[in-house]
Amino acid sequence: MGDGNSRGISGNNNNSNSNRPEWLQQYDLIGKIGEGTYGLVFLAKIKPNRSKPIAIKKFKQSKDGDGVSPTAIREIMLLREINHENVVKLVNVHINHVDMSLYLAFDYAEHDLYEIIRHHRDKVNQAINPYTVKALLWQLLNGLNYLHSNWIIHRDLKPSNILVMGEGEEQGVVKIADFGLARIYQAPLKPLSDNGVVVTIWYRAPELLLGAKHYTSAVDMWAVGCIFAELLTLKPLFQGQEVKATPNPFQLDQLDKIFRVLGHPTQEKWPTLVNLPHWHSDQQHIQGHKYDSTGLYSVVHLSPKSPAYDLLSKMLEYDPRKRITAAQALEHEYFRLDPPPGRNALVPSQPGEKVVTYPTRPVDTTTDFEGTTSLQPSQPVSSGNAVSGSMAGPHVVPSRSGPRPVPMVGMPRMQPQGMAAYNLNSQAGMGGGMNPGNIPMPRGVGSQAHQQQQSVVFHGKLHVRDCASEDPHLKWGYRRNTKIQVQPVHFQEAVFEVVPSDSLLHTLGPDCKSLHQNLSYKRFESNLFFLVLGCHDSAVTYKLIPEH
Amino acid sequence: MAANFWTSSHYKQLLDQEEVDVVHQLDREKGITLEDFKLIKMHMANYIGKLAHNVKVRQRVVATAVAYMRRVYTKYVLLRPGVGRKMFWKSMTEYDPRVLAPTCLYLASKAEESTVQARLLVFYTRKIYTDEKYRYEIKDILEMEMKILEALNYYLVVFHPYRALSQLLPDAGMNDATQICWGLVNDTYRMDLILIHPPHFIALACIYVASVLKDKENTAWFEELHVDMNVVKNIAMEILDFYDSHKMISEERINAAMNKLPFRP
Repeated sequence: MGDGNSRGISGNNNNSNSNRPEWLQQYDLIGKIGEGTYGLVFLAKIKPNRSKPIAIKKFKQSKDGDGVSPTAIREIMLLREINHENVVKLVNVHINHVDMSLYLAFDYAEHDLYEIIRHHRDKVNQAINPYTVKALLWQLLNGLNYLHSNWIIHRDLKPSNILVMGEGEEQGVVKIADFGLARIYQAPLKPLSDNGVVVTIWYRAPELLLGAKHYTSAVDMWAVGCIFAELLTLKPLFQGQEVKATPNPFQLDQLDKIFRVLGHPTQEKWPTLVNLPHWHSDQQHIQGHKYDSTGLYSVVHLSPKSPAYDLLSKMLEYDPRKRITAAQALEHEYFRLDPPPGRNALVPSQPGEKVVTYPTRPVDTTTDFEGTTSLQPSQPVSSGNAVSGSMAGPHVVPSRSGPRPVPMVGMPRMQPQGMAAYNLNSQAGMGGGMNPGNIPMPRGVGSQAHQQQQSVVFHGKLHVRDCASEDPHLKWGYRRNTKIQVQPVHFQEAVFEVVPSDSLLHTLGPDCKSLHQNLSYKRFESNLFFLVLGCHDSAVTYKLIPEH
Repeated sequence: MAANFWTSSHYKQLLDQEEVDVVHQLDREKGITLEDFKLIKMHMANYIGKLAHNVKVRQRVVATAVAYMRRVYTKYVLLRPGVGRKMFWKSMTEYDPRVLAPTCLYLASKAEESTVQARLLVFYTRKIYTDEKYRYEIKDILEMEMKILEALNYYLVVFHPYRALSQLLPDAGMNDATQICWGLVNDTYRMDLILIHPPHFIALACIYVASVLKDKENTAWFEELHVDMNVVKNIAMEILDFYDSHKMISEERINAAMNKLPFRP
């Protein structure tokens, strides 16, 4: 990352700007494609062959002299750790020490859901092809499932943050973008408003509108439900009027819009509702029953019995604890029915289907990297975030068969070792500091001693315990550089019955139905085993507990 | 992946002790020995802790800041297929620890969502150290922030033992040892352990030390964990060794090491 000496100022270049840092010279600037509170987004191409379009997001130095914007820091922090086909990939980070600006380079995505929806609504006046809706939704959920299984909540999902790749190898692939507000949610999260952040309220979950103090991944699923409905109807589902007066205003109109369609929430359907501050205080009389019946299916023009409606209503479940998860949604019947979702969401696999050509993103070619305009702006600039990513390696569009029986697999077991020398009965006094001499702890008996452990065949039943729902730190017994991946077939003499839990099957997603293809074992110290289930490039580890 | 240790950049960047214990050529030229190097890093960890105490940030921010500071001075080699190797390694000669340390706290406070203003750091540093060598201005912090981002290759997620500790202690029936274990974990940041071992191993080593100190019979509990106890015990030994040698470290010894560093113009 950040190759090239960004401190150097080169006087030599073809462009009018002579103050350009060296790293910038590897790009040919095409123009400006977006503008936000954080700064500007540019379209550029990498120089030698100008083949690969890149979106470069420039963060302005904050005016109050407080360095790199915390939003940029958090975005870099998360994106540096993330790698998934349906999530933007950070290609490079550059720093210009001269004006203390920061540049994030992403693979360029030509489209976003905001523009696609707008095109259908305002230009072609025609609904989005059902295949495209399904494929977009599936990929969005696939990316979100990856994020959530890595304890990341996006918190600002909206059509303009969901990008779709244009022509090329990755055409029609969805990329979730804009992680400035994303959070790792192991620690309780502060409400966004506490950080002075304002996000669009149309996609905001009801628990947040009612003043819930903590976020869960369910807030993203609510947003996905809203986006799903918008893909179907081309109109925002809950288009509330935003109150912008105070830092954390109570968005009565947004709640009213939701209640109008989904009916009033009741304590029966949502037991923790009464604990939510805005509901509890009821200053604006939201508790009064105004709307009873659910009219969602008529708003989205779906039969109440259709799988699409069933999925949508599960995403728009009031109680966040009952709301469908991304993993569960990927398993939903809707995705198993024809047409199956494919990798290229924009071009249906069935021949004869009409392909909609979406307009390319307007580029303002008069603005340079410094954001100074040399001429009159030629075209309006898209509001979307024009960043996207790519993923190395081929992607296989999964075949969606029903769940297969879990295979019988086996694996060797190692003897527990290294515990004998461990003796806690020894005395160690506090006085005079801690004297290691009094504590019998063998030194230098490192991991080498473990290398000759004998393999013991274990017969019995293994229960798979879901580790992912626990702290990922607490996967005991790993040893560095010892990842043993074995095919079940190599250990036929060991009889294991792996009993997957429901959550395990959910985590696998529709493209990972076959445990055979995705199984590997991590064999660690002593007799502990981990089952590693790979799903694309993400992996979920489960602890295997022998049952005697 | 941001919150899964085993797939994180933190896990991939773990080094062996021998790889961490290398003094940069430029620092060696200034006469800085490995012992000086360790002492300065320890001194800077203490400095970050003092500053954090003044500006009132969580221990987690301190821990992340110390990890950043140690990483900047550690040699990381990035292998890029087809492009070659790229090295990330800064010397104390080029990157003055007296500016780097507070800036690490500044950056960590942003990464950990509790931003501290640069002017507060400048203010409290003047309160803590009257020595003019510790003086810096806001602009020094802002410049250094960007240099640190580059030096860390933009890898900012750091995992810590605290979380594992708070889950393990009740399980071990050692809630009464929370204080001592927490203190032990805090003290591990005066060493390079966070660059070498997965955080839950550090937590376990601290629990092990606490068990011994409190004369608590915990063998069965440790056995059930099925971890490599040799690793845990070796970390515990290092912690105890550190306490042991720490008694000998005088203010003068630290100052002597610090004085080998060139003072910024």
